[in-house]
Amino acid sequence: MRSNITLPPRQLALAVGAVALGGAVGTLLRDFLLRIHPVERQGWIAYAPPQTSWTQHVPWVLLAMNVVGVYAATWLLRGVLRHHDPNDPTRALVITGLLGGLTSYSGLFVDLAAVWHRSVAGGVLVAVGAVLAGVAAAALGLRGHRHR
Amino acid sequence: MTTLYVTLAGALGCVVRYLGEYAVRRHHPARRPWATVAANGLGCAVAGWTAYHLLAATDTQLRTVMLTGFCGGLTTFSSAFAIPAILQREHHWGYAAALVVTTPLLCAGAFALGMSFA
Repeated sequence: MRSNITLPPRQLALAVGAVALGGAVGTLLRDFLLRIHPVERQGWIAYAPPQTSWTQHVPWVLLAMNVVGVYAATWLLRGVLRHHDPNDPTRALVITGLLGGLTSYSGLFVDLAAVWHRSVAGGVLVAVGAVLAGVAAAALGLRGHRHR
Repeated sequence: MTTLYVTLAGALGCVVRYLGEYAVRRHHPARRPWATVAANGLGCAVAGWTAYHLLAATDTQLRTVMLTGFCGGLTTFSSAFAIPAILQREHHWGYAAALVVTTPLLCAGAFALGMSFA
């Protein structure tokens, strides 16, 4: 792997453009999918009725998108993109942009806060579950290439 | 219109993350994954602040643009687990484990910090 690379302006612009394009598509897709099954996102936390159970605030759709994103990224980085360095436009487009835009760590914590305010144990459970799901998805992504 | 702004903010967040990774990689190639960890931490801090302090604001559009758009784009869940998986595969077990464990702890701390920041 080459190290200490400073990209020429044109290549840097190309990579940034690829990240922006991928990020725009990924974010658009995430925004669209989150609307299908909105997790009590409006007026949540302090203002939401405290009677609701924490289980109703688990961000299933975002968790699913995150897990799929981890699987896809690992699978691609072990497969077709294995020799692409992080500044390669294709990798910038798909990994940094598209999958980076599709998945969200901050969104997870925003939704987690809503769970936490109803049940601290529930919040911890969802957080630990999300991390374990991420690790499992990455392991599956690696296994996809076992026989190569 | 909100969708357009969310999309643009998401692209901007991704570009900020990429440039951070690029800057770190230029000088310290092996430490590049920490730039991703930092982007996730920063995104969570901004999200924590936005979620709690723009709560009273009637402008839900700005909140969505910031949370779903900018913070969502700035942070990444896919790379947070894919990069450690690749590192583990290259026998950098300790490095991979450190990244996987540090990210959620940093994000939780950053979110709480952003939340309590007036």
